[in-house]
Amino acid sequence: MIDPHHVLPPEDMSNEAIVRRLTEQANVRIQNGQLKKKKLVWLELTGCSGNIISLMNGFNPNLEYMLTLMVDLVYSNSLMAAEGEEAIERLMSVLDEEFILAVEGAVATKNNGLYNVIGRWRGKPFTALQAAKMLGEKASHVIAVGACAVDGGPSAAKPNLAECVGLSDIVKRPMIKLPGCPCHPDWFLGTLAHLLMNGVPELDNMDRPLLFYSTLIHDRCPRRPFFDKGIFAKTLGEPTCLFKLGCRGPVTRVDCPTRKWDGYVNWPIGASTCIGCSQFGFPDKMGPFISYDITRE
Amino acid sequence: MNENELELVRRQIQLTFDEIQYLIRMLYSTKDYHTKNLTLNQLWNKVSLLHFLTNMLDQQQISSTVTPTLPQPSQPAPPSHMNQTTPQTVPQNLPTITREQLANATGRNGNPAYVAVGGIVYDVTNNKAWSAASHFGLPAGKDLTAEFASCHAGQQWILSTLKPVGRLV
Ligand code: HEM
Ligand code: SF4
Repeated sequence: MIDPHHVLPPEDMSNEAIVRRLTEQANVRIQNGQLKKKKLVWLELTGCSGNIISLMNGFNPNLEYMLTLMVDLVYSNSLMAAEGEEAIERLMSVLDEEFILAVEGAVATKNNGLYNVIGRWRGKPFTALQAAKMLGEKASHVIAVGACAVDGGPSAAKPNLAECVGLSDIVKRPMIKLPGCPCHPDWFLGTLAHLLMNGVPELDNMDRPLLFYSTLIHDRCPRRPFFDKGIFAKTLGEPTCLFKLGCRGPVTRVDCPTRKWDGYVNWPIGASTCIGCSQFGFPDKMGPFISYDITRE
Repeated sequence: MNENELELVRRQIQLTFDEIQYLIRMLYSTKDYHTKNLTLNQLWNKVSLLHFLTNMLDQQQISSTVTPTLPQPSQPAPPSHMNQTTPQTVPQNLPTITREQLANATGRNGNPAYVAVGGIVYDVTNNKAWSAASHFGLPAGKDLTAEFASCHAGQQWILSTLKPVGRLV
């Protein structure tokens, strides 16, 4: 059935408009008291901080909007002023309250988690593994942000010395997964706004919001006419289809071709192959990223 | 889809045509580079939407049992006639292919990319899911019966989209 609340043209149906609509609505409802600002904990485990950096590049809305109008950010080791034990103290203080947990980075499991210590608490090392379990159990909602949190990602790539795994291997509960290396700011902010207003967005069978992860890159790729005619680039500089060089657009489901990155100006296939960073199994299963000896014809 | 939903799709198509016309007029009237780019991007979106909507209507005509759901990563609902669990009917007169020949069909340096599943050898040289002659870490030139069974259980229809080129001996 088609839902009567669906937005139809002539309303703007573009990707930017969808996220803008969600976040603006969330703000209006918070302002007029229909919604209460929720607490957000952003936990950074074993990764490269790429997702929080990506989030700071958000435009629709931007980070400031999120921090001042949408949520009450209790903890983020990259953004908060507190440090050391005082910071961990804040993290612990949230345990008795309602909060949304966003996790970036994989969970290092070797030696009982000692390969990634994220702070000290009561004089003892506090590991990513402990943090994931402790907060994961208590949160009202959990969002795994980026490839590492979703299924290990680059942190779990061979030889995976720290024995990294995705969050869902450690925290057994329903969670929203936002794969991508990094996660696009809109994917996170749009999901967060949806969560605040309407609860968990509709997810596919791998727990990704259909809102963002339902179309194959290949199906919306501007180079697609070249693929259909069998015109394949031999080097990265050519404007034709990158299939023979190893493009993973045909097995990757996400809205990069229409959303684009860095303030909506460009995206990977604008310059090179898609490396499947938003697909499960990235990076090991998405290799080789580029090859020059593939048979044409 | 019932009549109401069909009607909605038709209306969407009509609206999309109108919007495309509007966007084209806009392209003629603006000199601003950014507005032009934005408009072109919107046009691209509208054309893709049309593509999607017309596909939806086409599918409806082919078989009314296919529900045009949003694409799922586990494959869209396969047409019912492909949903059997036994291997697809492959031509009887396929040439035999030895394991050695298969091992050479790596999809590199001028060799085609072959994979074997259930005793049949398929050509995946130009299959979209096999860019760089590899698929989820699996290289071409191998018997992937076990991998297919574990990764695509219940998705036998995938095989029927591939080109059979021989029998593995
Ligand atoms: C490691 C085992 C495998 C994994 C994890 C895997 C995973 C996947 C996934 C996730 C997709 C869907 C992409 C999407 O549309 O969202 C896909 C599609 C596909 N797979 Fe596999 N696969 C595996 C083994 C194989 C094997 C052995 C074959 C050999 C014949 C194969 C042939 C295909 C084809 C032809 C498609 C495209 C289907 C279409 O037309 O949409 N896969 N695979
Ligand atoms: S460049 Fe990649 S995503 Fe685009 S058409 Fe070619 S194979 Fe598909």
